[in-house]
Amino acid sequence: MSNHVIEESNSSATKELEQKQEKEKEEEEDEDDELRKLLLPDVCNLPSVPPSAVESNFAIYFALDFMKPGHDQYVYRHANGLCVIGLAPSHVSFKDEGGITAIDFNVGKSDRSGVKVTGKRKKNAQHFESNTALCKVSTKNDSYIVRCCVKGSLLEVNQQLIKQPELLNASADREGYIAIIMPKPADWLKIKASLVSVEEYKKLREVS
Amino acid sequence: MEQEEEKVSNAFIPSSLSSSDLEQVLHSLPSNALNHLFSLGVCVRCVLRLFGIKGPICASVDNGSENPLDSTTSNEAKLCNICLGILQFRFYDEREKRVLQKDTAYDVALLIADMVKQERYQFDTFSLEVSIPPLILQNETSVWSYMQKKYGSEPWFQEKLHTGCISIKDALKFSLINPLENLLGCKSSLCPFRIRLTYTHTKASEGVAKCSENDGSCKRRKTGMSLLFPSNSFSTPSESNLIGERPLSSSVEIESFDSSKLFLKSASEPCHFSYNCSRTPFYFGGRYLKYSRNVSQTRWIIDDERMGEASVEEIIGTKVLQACRGDNYKFHAAGREDIDVRMLGPGRPFILEVQNTRLVPTEQFVNNIEKMINEVENKLVRVKNLKLVGSDGWNLMREGEAEKQKQYAALVWTSRPLKDEDFQQVSSLKDLKVVQRTPIRVLHRRSPLEREKIIHWMKMETVAGSSQYFLLHLCTQAGTYIKEFVHGDLGRTHPSIGSILGCTAEILQLDVTDIKMECFLT
Repeated sequence: MSNHVIEESNSSATKELEQKQEKEKEEEEDEDDELRKLLLPDVCNLPSVPPSAVESNFAIYFALDFMKPGHDQYVYRHANGLCVIGLAPSHVSFKDEGGITAIDFNVGKSDRSGVKVTGKRKKNAQHFESNTALCKVSTKNDSYIVRCCVKGSLLEVNQQLIKQPELLNASADREGYIAIIMPKPADWLKIKASLVSVEEYKKLREVS
Repeated sequence: MEQEEEKVSNAFIPSSLSSSDLEQVLHSLPSNALNHLFSLGVCVRCVLRLFGIKGPICASVDNGSENPLDSTTSNEAKLCNICLGILQFRFYDEREKRVLQKDTAYDVALLIADMVKQERYQFDTFSLEVSIPPLILQNETSVWSYMQKKYGSEPWFQEKLHTGCISIKDALKFSLINPLENLLGCKSSLCPFRIRLTYTHTKASEGVAKCSENDGSCKRRKTGMSLLFPSNSFSTPSESNLIGERPLSSSVEIESFDSSKLFLKSASEPCHFSYNCSRTPFYFGGRYLKYSRNVSQTRWIIDDERMGEASVEEIIGTKVLQACRGDNYKFHAAGREDIDVRMLGPGRPFILEVQNTRLVPTEQFVNNIEKMINEVENKLVRVKNLKLVGSDGWNLMREGEAEKQKQYAALVWTSRPLKDEDFQQVSSLKDLKVVQRTPIRVLHRRSPLEREKIIHWMKMETVAGSSQYFLLHLCTQAGTYIKEFVHGDLGRTHPSIGSILGCTAEILQLDVTDIKMECFLT
C-alpha cells in the first residue's frame, strides 16, 4: 500500500520537473526569437551604398596646391582631434604613367618611419610644422614631397606603404593613408582656415 | 581588607547602587593611591576603571551623587585629566553647538537615540563604535606607568595588574550599550549598521608647541603631549599636582618617552563630541540590457553637455538609490559597450554599490526595484536577476574578465554581392588571429600598440532582399574591437572582413548578443 503511494508521488515529481524544464526551454526559445527580431533589419530602410567608415567618423578636408601646384592632400579629422594625412585623388603624382612606384620616409632630418611613439602621453613623438616633409613618393620619372599640412605631433606613419607602395595607387583614401598627426586645438584652428571642404574640393577639381 | 577587595573586583555587581554602596567600594581601595589619583585630577569613573572594577558601577555612578572624597558638585568638578570629561559626560556637542553636562549615561544615550530616529534608519541591530583623541591614551599610559613606578612594590598592586584596567572606550561603551538597546528596541552586535561616537580635542597642537621649547632631546610628536611625568622626587601626593614645567630626571624610565619634557595642565575644555550613524554599503548584482543606440553606459559629459540621452548607470542607480534611501551609488560593470551599440541577450553583469541606505532591502524589495526599472515607459534599459550580493560578487565579476568571450551581431555591407563560397569561407575560419593596432578613434587616449586578438568563430546570415547586406555573428576574445575588424580601420586591423572577402566592408550597426560569464545568471 505504502509502495504504491511512493510510486505515484515519484512520478508526479518527475512530471513536475519535466514540465519545468519544458517551460524553461520554451522561455529560452522565446528569448532567442525576441533577440532575432531585434537583430534583423528592415531592408527598405537600408541605403544601397552606406557612408564609409571615414565618412561616418571623420570630417574630411583638403589642402590644395600645398606649397606647390598640384600637391593636393586630404586631412581627415576625427572628433578626438587626430588627423589622418594622405594624397587626394587629384594629386599630381597620380598623373604620371604607372602611378607611384616607391615611397621613402627618410626625408628632412630623420627617418619618419623609425620613430617609436609610446604610451598614453605619446612620448618621443616628433613635433612638426605644417610644411615639414613627411615623405617622398616616386613615380617612374619623378618624385614629390608630401608634407604634414597640419602642425602637430607625428604619431605614426603607414609602414605598410614601404612594402606595398601600390596601396597609394589603389586606395590612397583608405589603406594608402600616409600618417597620423595630433595637433593642439589652437594649431588646428589656424590651419583649418586654409583647408577646403568636400563640396568645395569637388567643385574646384571638377570631380564628381 | 584584602579579602574585601577581592570580593569587590571579581564579584557580580548588582545593577543599581546607592551612593553609600559607592562609598563602600571606594573605601575598599587602597587609600593612598586613591587620594593620589584624585589629587591628580582623575575622575571617579577613571579611578574605578584603573582599578579594573567592572560592572554597572561604571554605569550607575551618577554625576549628581556626591563623590564622598570630593565635595564639589558635578558642575563645578574639574575636568578629569585623563578622560577629559568623556566619562563625566561633559562635552561640546557638535549638534547643539554648546557644552553639555549630562548626569547619567542614559542621558547621553538619549541624545544618540534621537539622532538615529531622526534619520529613520531601518535596523534590527546596531554596532557601537567609539573614537577618542590619542591624547587621552597617552595620558592614561603615563598615569599607569606612574602608578607602576610608585606603587609597584605594594602588595595590592599585583592583584590590580591581574585584573587589568578597563579602557575608556570599553567603559563608555559598557555604560551606553544597555540604555541604547532599550531606547532603540534591539540588541547590539557586530553588524553593518554602525553608530559612531567621535571625541576630538583641540589641545593637541598646544602640547606640541610646549614641547618644542625644550632642548633638542625632546622627541617630536605629531599629536599633543599632555603627560604626567612621574619622578622619583615626588614622595607625597600633594606635590604631584604638577603645574608648569619640571626638569627631567634621567633615571626615570617610562616606556616610550626617555628625555621628553612633560607637563600636566589642567584641561580647561572638554572634548568635541560628534555622533552619527551609517550603514556599510549594500551591493546589488545583476545583468543589464541596453536597447537604445543613444544611451551611454556611464554618465558622459563633455563641456557641460551630456552625450546621449541617458546612461545605464543613472537609469539603474537613481531608482535603486531612491528606493533604499541611500546617500550615493557607484556603478561597476564587467566591460562596456559604445553608446551606439546595443547590449542584448542575457545582458552584461554589473554591481551597483549603494552607500548608507536608510532601508534594509529584502528579496521582495529587490524584486520590486527590478520591476520598477523595467516598467519605465521608454524601455531604454532592462535589468535581470537583480539581487543583493556579498563580497564574493566582486570576485565573480572580475574573475577572468579578460578571458571571457563575447558574442556579437554586426550589420555589414560589402562592396560586391556575396556568394555561398564567401559564406562558407567565413564560417570555416576558427580561432582566427587578428592583429589590431590601436584604433584611431581611441588612439588619442590609449597607447599605440599592436594587440593580437582571436575571433573564435563567425557565421554570416543573409538579410532578406539584399545581396550586399548581411548579419555577421561572431564570437571573439575580450578586448577585440569589432567595428575595426569589419572596416579595417584604414588597414590597421588585419585581417578584416574586407580583406578576407577581397572587397570593401562597412559596419552599420553592432549589437552585443552574449557575454559568456558565469555570474548573475539567475
